[in-house]
Amino acid sequence: MIGVGIDAGSRAIKIVLMDTMTHEVITSGTVGQGVKSNDLAMELFEQLLKDSSHNSEDVQKIVATGYGRNTISIADATITEITCHARGVHHVVPEARTVVEIGGQDSKLLKLGPGGSVQDFMMNDRCAAGTGRFLEVVADRLSVGLAELGELASRSVTPAAISSMCIVFAETEIIGLLASGTPPEDIVAGVQNSIATRITSMAGKSVIPPVVFTGGVALVPGMDKALERVLGHRVETAPNPQMTGALGAALLACKPKR
Amino acid sequence: MSGITLSDWDRHYIELKEAGLKEPWYGGPLRRHVEDGDLRLLKLRYDDSAAALRLWNFLLTEEDRLREARSNGKKLVGVMKDLGTVPVMAYSLPNVVAFYPDGAWWTPCIMEMSEGLFGLAASYGLDESFCPVRAMLGAFVTEAHFPIPDMLTCSVGATCDDFSSIAQRVEGLGYPINWWEMPARRKPGPNEKVIRLPGGFYATVDQVAFVKSELERVKTALEELSGYKLSDDMLKDGIRAANKARKTLSELRLAVFTAKSSPIPALEMQIAEMFAIHFCSDREETAAVLQDMLAEAQKRISSGIGILPEDSVRIFWVNPVADLRAMNVLEDCGGRICGADYLFAHALDEIPEDLHPMEALARMALADPMVGSSHDRAERIMRDIEAFGSEAVLISKIPGASHCATEGAVIGRAVKAELNLPVVEIEVPPLTDSMQPTIMTRIEALIETAREWRK
Repeated sequence: MIGVGIDAGSRAIKIVLMDTMTHEVITSGTVGQGVKSNDLAMELFEQLLKDSSHNSEDVQKIVATGYGRNTISIADATITEITCHARGVHHVVPEARTVVEIGGQDSKLLKLGPGGSVQDFMMNDRCAAGTGRFLEVVADRLSVGLAELGELASRSVTPAAISSMCIVFAETEIIGLLASGTPPEDIVAGVQNSIATRITSMAGKSVIPPVVFTGGVALVPGMDKALERVLGHRVETAPNPQMTGALGAALLACKPKR
Repeated sequence: MSGITLSDWDRHYIELKEAGLKEPWYGGPLRRHVEDGDLRLLKLRYDDSAAALRLWNFLLTEEDRLREARSNGKKLVGVMKDLGTVPVMAYSLPNVVAFYPDGAWWTPCIMEMSEGLFGLAASYGLDESFCPVRAMLGAFVTEAHFPIPDMLTCSVGATCDDFSSIAQRVEGLGYPINWWEMPARRKPGPNEKVIRLPGGFYATVDQVAFVKSELERVKTALEELSGYKLSDDMLKDGIRAANKARKTLSELRLAVFTAKSSPIPALEMQIAEMFAIHFCSDREETAAVLQDMLAEAQKRISSGIGILPEDSVRIFWVNPVADLRAMNVLEDCGGRICGADYLFAHALDEIPEDLHPMEALARMALADPMVGSSHDRAERIMRDIEAFGSEAVLISKIPGASHCATEGAVIGRAVKAELNLPVVEIEVPPLTDSMQPTIMTRIEALIETAREWRK
């Protein structure tokens, strides 16, 4: 049988199909988020079933998570991304005690117990500073792709100080920095530090290692290093970090039905 | 989803009437309040009992009651900010009705902003950087949501910065206010004599004496307005009557919060608790309404009837919500109300009847959670959490309210450190529609975490 996890995030829909017995990932896929979230998820789900030579009768349960979880009509259950990311990270890095998840629209910090249960969580879902959206704005302003940001930041010698914690005002700062001749690589590195600092302010002083970084922004090179600098701990990027929420949802879908 | 919709109530009301429902003069179908502009009622879900119907009708007819009281020659006193003290004095006089103009903070929610009170407040200099209670200023300007009182009192000092600013603006519009000062309750020094207050707090003898002298000034003003001398015996009777309502509310809270399965929804419980501070312009009727709610809760408990699944997570709720819908959302997410501190915990305690009445009122006023430190408030909250067996704590912040800015973090840290319970903070604006997904995510995550901790 198959357990299915669907993570309907703000920027992308991620789906994981998992073997309920072995907990091995059968297949996974991603599609960009859109207006018709449910239709997009259905199309991707059906494609993944077909590609893996399965059909809907093989499905034990479907768990939806993420911002748009309540729009997924085929879901048997909805579980928040807090629980799903915790479960997903624990599966791939069992010793993880702190999870930093930065998505397109929000960021979270989870504290895990030794068995992977959520002990505490903090969220920033009210402000774009500290989220992937901040990086998108910067990439747009600098006319570079998101994927190039990391490489650009790695060339920075003197990261710019971005003092504003608000994305709108930070954009104004970036325009000012560009006008004053600050190299783009220093601006990008400064923005990465700014996002990392925002995460630290959520974490307080009680970050317990090992720290695992997940979510779509973990794919942006350099962000892990920026987090390491401000957290003061080594930060391990989860394998396939964009899929961690869907992976956790799939694991929860694999639980035997009561 | 638990509870019934307004449309369900339309049908249910007819059934109840056909079954012989007897209602007080303010009774009737809830739908009629929507026709008066209370649009938010269309989006709430309700308890289906006759007791809850009476509770809602009582709440939503306060303005009618005030206007009737005035037409019957009674004096109206707008008692601002003290949350439970001056109303006890006012209702001890035979011809005075007290009410809370502060209650207008819910008007933008109930009327879904159609009334424009925030816009008016902004035009008088109080924008969204102030607590939503700024709607009260707009209500004074329009004179459309409550009759302009014959006298205003306002507690100032350690109570609330936002409220003081708003009340000052009201006074600037030509509505004189009898201000009375509330000192910050503080730790007594080594040589200071202390007095134990209701709620387990302490204040110095000097502080209690000061508040008593301030309340004496208010008492004199009330006497001048009413034309009656407020004797100690009258005040003692007033305290006894207030305690009757408080005692009923206390029994209701204990019954509901400790029941195996929740017998009364969070929304109706919050409204019932609010009556403790202002009696909704009719002290005796408040006691009767609360008695009805208690009887309904007891009936359900003894019959084993719960409105929510038994495994619902027991949530302690901190601070009142600007949008009443948030209380429905708690239950949609798998939680149940199991204790609350809506910023007026002192108004739930019985006023000491074995003291001089003014001394008793002064002590009660000083037990206000808002005039002490956040740590004090956290201590009381934690005592209640333990008494009610709450499993998680939800702190709802009020946007713009200065007292909420840092207090939630202090309370949250204390609860985590001393009780080891999960805590989450949410922010509830007057209309949460667009923010509902993010609010639900936080509440659901809290509930999932609490369930995980059960294992």
